[in-house]
Amino acid sequence: MDFTFETFNKNKTDQELWAGIRRGDESAFTSVFDLYHATLYNYGTKLCSNSAIVEDAVQDVFIDIWRLRSGLTENITSIKFYLYRALRRRIHVGIDKFPVTEDIDLTSEDRFFVNDSNSETILIETESSAIRSRQVQELLSNLPERQIEALTLRYFEEFSTEEIAQIMGVSEKSVRNFMYKALTSLRSHSHSLSLLSLIFCLLLVF
Amino acid sequence: MKHDAYSLTELIRNDDFIAWVLHPDAESDIQWQLFLANNPGKKKTVESAREYVILLAKDTGRNVPAPQQSEKMWKMVESTMQEEAKQAELEMPVDSHWRWVRVAASAALILSIGSVSYWFYYKSTDAGRMHNLAVTQTEQSEGFVQKYNDTQKPMTVILPDGSSVVLQPGAHLSFTKVSKRNRREVTLTGKAFFEITKDKEKPFLVYSYGLATKVLGTSFLIDASESNDDIKVEVKTGTVSVFSINNMSDEMKGGSKDSKYEEVTLNKDEKIAFSRDNGKILKLEQGIPLVLNVRDVSRQNFFFDETPVSQVFEAMEAAYNVKITYDKELVGNCSLNATLVGQPFSKKLEVICNALGVQYEIRENQVTITGNGCK
Repeated sequence: MDFTFETFNKNKTDQELWAGIRRGDESAFTSVFDLYHATLYNYGTKLCSNSAIVEDAVQDVFIDIWRLRSGLTENITSIKFYLYRALRRRIHVGIDKFPVTEDIDLTSEDRFFVNDSNSETILIETESSAIRSRQVQELLSNLPERQIEALTLRYFEEFSTEEIAQIMGVSEKSVRNFMYKALTSLRSHSHSLSLLSLIFCLLLVF
Repeated sequence: MKHDAYSLTELIRNDDFIAWVLHPDAESDIQWQLFLANNPGKKKTVESAREYVILLAKDTGRNVPAPQQSEKMWKMVESTMQEEAKQAELEMPVDSHWRWVRVAASAALILSIGSVSYWFYYKSTDAGRMHNLAVTQTEQSEGFVQKYNDTQKPMTVILPDGSSVVLQPGAHLSFTKVSKRNRREVTLTGKAFFEITKDKEKPFLVYSYGLATKVLGTSFLIDASESNDDIKVEVKTGTVSVFSINNMSDEMKGGSKDSKYEEVTLNKDEKIAFSRDNGKILKLEQGIPLVLNVRDVSRQNFFFDETPVSQVFEAMEAAYNVKITYDKELVGNCSLNATLVGQPFSKKLEVICNALGVQYEIRENQVTITGNGCK
């Protein structure tokens, strides 16, 4: 009950804001900028490490919306989704890296199931929160760009797998694959890390 | 080996699980408590997965822009909007953007001593005409205004929101005419006294070198002279917060930017010194005011008790360095009871004129009072 009501309200606001922008209402436009520019920028940094390019791209997305407001689509379900898709396109145009064909290695997923439960129990029991937090940080600095992108869209932006697939221009299966790969590297990574820290702790004790 | 749907990895990427961790509600709470009750062996896994989800959400969202970057992006977007509006204006002439409060001679306002805050709530409206008290004005691009006081006397600048700034000789103030979003902002070098129109929705920010001073509606003095190593801020009415914005863009990269902001809150008569070298903010002893000249605007209390209007206007003229023209016969002998501390120049005039039942008009640094005055 609660949930449907909330969704309804949110959609209404998005639609109202969007209608406002189409009419040329500056306050609707500024509130959309205020609401989304920061997280949009955050997403942009996952696509391109040059902050100047990301800034430009975020600007351009908003400038385009304002300039082309009268021609904007009438029905929009999520402004956020629209913006993220637009930004991704922008950045890839900006750095001349428009998506090529996807090469999805579906077989790799199965490989990781081997020896699953064993490593996991070791993991849970030996880790402290501090180590976990270090793991995640390390993970995010080492993963391939697209896996980080998928993680960002899923955990920080909280898009659904379906939305992520559309934003990234890949199949849902690929999104799940990106996520899986990312999380398994977290595990293999953390395994060695926790062992290391165990040794380190032992050294300290003696 | 059999695949476990509730293994650590599976939980971390389970949609229901993520939703529960990030936005728990009664329903999902029950669902996952039930799961744990049925699978007591999974308690550690769930705890650990929960932590990972939170970490992932936090760590993938660390690269939000610094306030300066946000500002930069907005300025760019805004200037395109203005350019477009300008073009539209050329095609179809419309009245200019900024309009000034012209005070309608409404029912006389009874001035009660001390409750100045009441008038703060009078919002500047977009009616009337644009006026400017400043002498030197350069408009670089559309909407961007710079004021430099190259005279030997104080100069009063009225901002688009009705706030007034008295610039001391040599001081420089810049701001944009169109201030839409969620804040009002100006940049200052030199010494100036601010009286800010209250607007809870839009904090007013003064940037001077590495220091930002934030208020909602109040009066205060900033001394950010180029020759001084320290920037000083003194509060006359209300509350002001100051914080260092030095190296903000570097810090942004290190994450957790909140902790890097040193923010100090100042109340009435309190003052600080901000070191331009190391970005440290130091509270100063109370007692000696920053401005020693008792005739300075920052030292005035504008306390009027049955005061003849001629004296009221004299006080205003002296403090803000403006010329007020009025009919001495008609208005000069009316008297006024009021304390006008904290509100900007135009608001003070508005209060006085409302009480007297007269109208005012501000043009350059000239104020003209019209009307029949008290009966």
